[in-house]
Amino acid sequence: MEKDEIHRRSTSSSSSSSSSLQPRWFASAKMVAIALVPLAVLAAMIAFIFGPGQQFLGTGTPLPEISIERIEFQEGGRIIAYIRNTGPIDVTVAQADVNDRILPAAIEPSKELPRLVEAKVIIPFPWNEGEPYEIGVTSSDGTRFSKGVNAAAPAATPDIEQAAFFGLIGTYVGIIPVLAGLLWLPFIKRLSLQKYRFFLSLTAGLLVFLGIDALVEGSEIAAESVAGVFNGQILIVLVAILSFLVLMYASTKLGQRSKGRTATTAEEEEEEEEKVDKLSAYDDSIHASQAKKTLDQQQQQQQQHHLVVVKPVAMALMISIGIGLHNFGEGLAIGASVVLGEIALSTFLIVGFMIHNTTEGLAIVSPLAKTKVRRMIGKIIIMGLIAGIPTIIGTWIGGFVYSPVAAIIFLSIGAGAIFQVVFLIYQGMAKEETERGGKIMSDASIIAGFAAGMLIMYVTGLMI
Amino acid sequence: MITLKVIVVVAVAAAVLSTAFAVASQSFVDFLATAQDAELRKNTIGGHTAGYGLHETSGDVLDPASSSSNTASDEVAIDPDTYLRSFNYGRVSNLTNGSTVREFTLVADDRQTMEISPGVFYNVWTFNGTIPGPTLRATEGDLIRINFINNGTKPHSIHTHGIHKAGMDGVFETINPHGRFVYEFYAEAFGVFPYHCHVTPLEEHISRGLYGVYIVDPKTPRPEADEMVMIMNGFDTDFDTENNFYSVNTIPYYYMHHPIEIEEGKLVRVYLVNMLEFDQINNFHLHGNLYQLYRSGTSMAPDEYTDMVTMSQGERAILEFNYKYPGQYMFHAHKTEFAEKGWMGLFVVKDPTQTGGSDGSDSSSTRLLETKTISGDVGT
Repeated sequence: MEKDEIHRRSTSSSSSSSSSLQPRWFASAKMVAIALVPLAVLAAMIAFIFGPGQQFLGTGTPLPEISIERIEFQEGGRIIAYIRNTGPIDVTVAQADVNDRILPAAIEPSKELPRLVEAKVIIPFPWNEGEPYEIGVTSSDGTRFSKGVNAAAPAATPDIEQAAFFGLIGTYVGIIPVLAGLLWLPFIKRLSLQKYRFFLSLTAGLLVFLGIDALVEGSEIAAESVAGVFNGQILIVLVAILSFLVLMYASTKLGQRSKGRTATTAEEEEEEEEKVDKLSAYDDSIHASQAKKTLDQQQQQQQQHHLVVVKPVAMALMISIGIGLHNFGEGLAIGASVVLGEIALSTFLIVGFMIHNTTEGLAIVSPLAKTKVRRMIGKIIIMGLIAGIPTIIGTWIGGFVYSPVAAIIFLSIGAGAIFQVVFLIYQGMAKEETERGGKIMSDASIIAGFAAGMLIMYVTGLMI
Repeated sequence: MITLKVIVVVAVAAAVLSTAFAVASQSFVDFLATAQDAELRKNTIGGHTAGYGLHETSGDVLDPASSSSNTASDEVAIDPDTYLRSFNYGRVSNLTNGSTVREFTLVADDRQTMEISPGVFYNVWTFNGTIPGPTLRATEGDLIRINFINNGTKPHSIHTHGIHKAGMDGVFETINPHGRFVYEFYAEAFGVFPYHCHVTPLEEHISRGLYGVYIVDPKTPRPEADEMVMIMNGFDTDFDTENNFYSVNTIPYYYMHHPIEIEEGKLVRVYLVNMLEFDQINNFHLHGNLYQLYRSGTSMAPDEYTDMVTMSQGERAILEFNYKYPGQYMFHAHKTEFAEKGWMGLFVVKDPTQTGGSDGSDSSSTRLLETKTISGDVGT
């Protein structure tokens, strides 16, 4: 638009057309108005459809729909159902039931539910712990909507005791295993290149499993608890892709900045940026012209340097963030399951999660094999905590303020983050491979590592 | 240039106006208003069901078993109080041979949506605009003439149980919309019978409400009694071939918050008919008493002295009892599922020698008694 104005001003100065007298705001207003024309047509059309057009288009019977999103069993004989009108029309709730037996209930704020509005149904009922229940509501047209709970468990009240309990579970399931997994670092460091690539690829396999797991988990939640109107499954794919792209962008920026910072401290910032640009140009076109070659070789030396010192740390950090998001989702699932009474927290289950999550520590330290560790122990522990602590936060949120939509969003973010890390790992290996003149898919250790990684996850996942 | 400006101005104006129109026609304003409803209300639930605890709410109460929240609308499918003791003897005239003619008019309709359970509205099919249809009553040997008018959109008929000619059976001569038919037959044998529509799909025509009770009194009348009609029925409002609601006389829990008043020691006669669709078994259990059971009402001698009778669809009986002690007594299906979906009620037995509050007619003591009665029953 600015160019347009500049152009107009330049022409108006040379010629004396009528438009030259118009002030600048008029031109902008006109642009806005032109942009609004299609919207105006649309608005007119909508008005027509809702108004006089209703009689031509009003076919079919819109059916009411109520989703029961969450059921809480409170001490002292009370069941709370959180319901939402997810249908195309307003509904009035007429009656409520437990196990298909009509019971006196209260509904807050009102039995009239406009579209997408939530209400809380309170049913005084002497429920028994560990037994299955089905909670139903009947709308004014006589349609009954219900949701089952496998085993009633008292709702977690957000008090210190409960928070501490969840914190303990989170520590056992998230922090301790991840930190234990970090202790694989000395082992990884002593490996030959070929074996190291096997383990790096194994990490990728582990991560792919976690990513798929997050998507499947999210999809299950979407199918069970998220009303069709929210398009849960599409939301999962959308958020996962977005999270992938955003983290891709962020990691590229992060990589560029850290490269610049460590390259040479004496250089000016502008020069650094220039270099980075050149670097990325190199990354993009392997078949650069001979003329550039000498400069590129200089850059390549530097790049190799970064690969050794900075990039692995950045990658480990990103892996830990991705795993952290995944563990957050895992924590949500654990917390929510405790509240929904869907799992009995047995020691066996916790042991299963521990074994499963120990491999995540391996995933974090794998890129650090060729790095001098002595100065970075603190950083590595922090990364372990970045990966582990979200489990605790997840159990709190999942246990106290569970929302299925929030759960699938976090799970999808985690999935996107994980796939992005996998992409980076293979990008790195592929670059090395190309430099040596080979192809990544022809390396048996990479393929075997990937397969082994997924299998390990599958087998340890059987314990959960 | 000017033309473009005009178009732009018109378009913007149209956009603003049409948006305003759309907003108004969709009453989004109302939507916002309901969300901000700040009126503070305090209601209590759970009080009448002992052991369930009290809950105070600022929201609405959903409790079909309590009278406080049971604000029946104008479109309610029946007034169970009126229906209970209403008997329609028809327009009476005499044939030349001296026998009595009873003429009834029944109008079928299938277009109304009525309240069949507190807050639940359902497309009902009715005789004379109610479920059940009016109770027809005659004496053995009378000539019955039913002027049938089909005011609905589907074919309907009247099939009366009893003895009559094949052409008066309501099966082969279905009456199309706007059609009329006159059913004529002699009232035989004495007893209690259902009448109902016999057009297929039968399940739909019956479960939607096209039925009523037809009583034929014996020539020597039964002893004087406080007579009432109870038709056991239910509704499948979500079309899964399972009833969502059960009751006597249509409205679930109605006689819980409107107990039926009877007198201590006085003979009570209940004409009981089971028209429940979808479920094979229904029954009637009386508290604190036993009744003489006359199956189908076709004999003057009782079949059984009991507090339980179990019936399949279309079965019926006459129940005779009197209460020895005053107070509130429950009656309900002893299929507890049906009871807990609305098929329960109360008799208030009053001592005729005492008038006023001491016998439980006072509303507060009634509620107390009610509480005790329910808590005692839930355990059974």
